[in-house]
Amino acid sequence: MSENNEKYQKCFMEAFPVQKQDLEGLKYQDIPEWDSIGHMNLVAALEDEFGIEMEIDDITDISDFRKGKEVLSRYEISI
Amino acid sequence: MTGSPKLNFDINGIKECQRNRHPILFLDKVVDVVPEQRATGIKAFSYNEWFFPAHYEDEPSVPGFILVETMVQTFIMTFLTMPEHKGSKTNFLNIGNGSFRRQIIPGDTLVVNAELASLKRGIARGKADAYVEDEFACSADFVVSIRSATDAIFQKMREKHS
Repeated sequence: MSENNEKYQKCFMEAFPVQKQDLEGLKYQDIPEWDSIGHMNLVAALEDEFGIEMEIDDITDISDFRKGKEVLSRYEISI
Repeated sequence: MTGSPKLNFDINGIKECQRNRHPILFLDKVVDVVPEQRATGIKAFSYNEWFFPAHYEDEPSVPGFILVETMVQTFIMTFLTMPEHKGSKTNFLNIGNGSFRRQIIPGDTLVVNAELASLKRGIARGKADAYVEDEFACSADFVVSIRSATDAIFQKMREKHS
């Protein structure tokens, strides 16, 4: 597993009460904690971890765990 | 930032910055403010406070939720003193690491030191520590949103994902 993938998973597990095995299919609003406020906590964690500042359109594009990887690739971060 | 001018706010100045009002506004004055960095809130508790007769009749002390509110009202002054955020409404998002180590009783003056760790897209993160005569009283970490700044993002989230 790549270092970036480890960091990416860590952000989700810090933002939400989920285990590693639950991440792959996780979607926005699947769990009570991933609401709009939780989403901003996730974004803050990703920005801190990868040293980026995301555009609003990119922030709102992160609809699930997989989509987030695609969004990060726009910042030249390969997961 | 070394050399930044420090600002002081009396009760009218506080009311220009934040929307809390009596009986929920607990600060008397806010001093040594460096906008976007730090603020020190001061609150003198007298027995005239509305809660002392009820908490408790035989042993008056400041309820914990009022200490939390006093700390967060100081914390929000770290960013509501910025011209672009002055007078904005705020919402509590998170509170962590709350610690309460000293009863606050009539006659005590609480001095709250608040620091802003980050402010991004209307979400402020930071902490406050409070003292009475240099004795530690309470502390907490806060996450607070500026509603006008976060509403647009949350609306877009609803539109994309509803």
